[in-house]
Amino acid sequence: MKNRITVSISDMKISSDPGDMLITHSLGSCLGLAAWDPQAGIGALIHCLLPKSPHPDVANPFMYVNVGVPLMIRRMAALGCSKGSLIFRAAGCGSMLNILNQFDTGAQNMAMLEALFAKNGVSLAAVDVGGSIPRTMTLHVDTGALIITSQGKEWEI
Amino acid sequence: MTRPGNSVVGSRGKARRPTGREDLIAGALALPQMPAPVMRIMSYLSNPDSDMNTLASLIEYDPGLTANVLRMANSSLFGLLDPVTTTRDALFKLGTRRVMQLVIASGVAPSAAGEVKGYGLAEGEFLRFSISIGLGAELAAQLAGIAAPAHTFTAGLLCPIGKMVLGRFLGVDAGPILDLAVTEDLSFEQAERRILGIDHAELGALLLASWGLPEPIVTCVRWHLNPCLAPKPDTARDLAHVGLALTTMAGIGLGVDGMRYQACQDSFDRLGVTPEHVNEALEKLVDNLTEIEEILSQV
Repeated sequence: MKNRITVSISDMKISSDPGDMLITHSLGSCLGLAAWDPQAGIGALIHCLLPKSPHPDVANPFMYVNVGVPLMIRRMAALGCSKGSLIFRAAGCGSMLNILNQFDTGAQNMAMLEALFAKNGVSLAAVDVGGSIPRTMTLHVDTGALIITSQGKEWEI
Repeated sequence: MTRPGNSVVGSRGKARRPTGREDLIAGALALPQMPAPVMRIMSYLSNPDSDMNTLASLIEYDPGLTANVLRMANSSLFGLLDPVTTTRDALFKLGTRRVMQLVIASGVAPSAAGEVKGYGLAEGEFLRFSISIGLGAELAAQLAGIAAPAHTFTAGLLCPIGKMVLGRFLGVDAGPILDLAVTEDLSFEQAERRILGIDHAELGALLLASWGLPEPIVTCVRWHLNPCLAPKPDTARDLAHVGLALTTMAGIGLGVDGMRYQACQDSFDRLGVTPEHVNEALEKLVDNLTEIEEILSQV
């Protein structure tokens, strides 16, 4: 039986225990980003609410894509992960129907991640974003399997 | 077109299963009301001349409610140095609006905290969803610099009540409704109307009207999913819609219906809510919701 570690909204968790699985529930417009290093056997999962922090020194950097994601990667590097071996997969970033672009937080979260990764030469191995479905994301630390569940269905990315 | 009711109503709920619009309404109207003191307070809040003394009296009328208010007011979260020993003291130290929110939320909590299986909401999720709409509505008003009508939080809190009635008490399974919405590219409430003959907003409004709640709260619930379709604009209704949008975006209490609702841009525009307000409101919503949930857990 694996140990379930919940990642709340605006939260991030890292694990090197092969018996752990990191779970974040009910991604709406939020971005869920999983990072896994097969060589180091370390996985991390972040649940960002918003694309950009209002200033660099915020109380909870994991709330924001632009500061939370780099911090997650730095924390993983401190534990022995190498940037070149990290596998990144993203999910979430949904939207209500007919919402205008400037109010579409989900699209802005994804755009911020893409800009951040493009600037740093990082690529996403898989994405499952957009639409109007809620998503729950589960990362298995031992195998790196990333499972998405939504509305009674389940699939792997 | 799918025939109303038959394929989506499960075996839970009443002995005789509701099978269409009229049956669903009859089933909803047969449900028991919320506790009487909470009903009185909700009604009174729509009175523009409401005052602190009368509100204190309404709470003191019920010993259980008074005990809850004092327990919540003395919670470490508020950090008051001296213990609060009376309802009036709580109203004075915490503010009328805050205490009223706690009273109403604590009155709704016992019935709203359970699972709403038909709509895929685990225990606690429907209550989180409800509280978040009320909080989000008030936050939107605060950030846009407008005065929220006194009943805004209450109306927001009650907006999704029809979902609880359908998904828990009347045994409706939302799965086929979602399937229709996806297949025919409909919003979720459009699919509800096609399959059930009524959507959860209308059913909730009919229920609250039958309980005698004030008309401003009833119409707010009726049109909160799409204020663009309402006969005339209303500030509390627009705020509740923005509260719903914030809650949905934050992923709070999402069931199988997910984010499959229309955003009414007119509501944002009438209120003067900007994208920057939305981002700030989302930040505050997540923080405030945690605090309210901790307090309610003591009720």
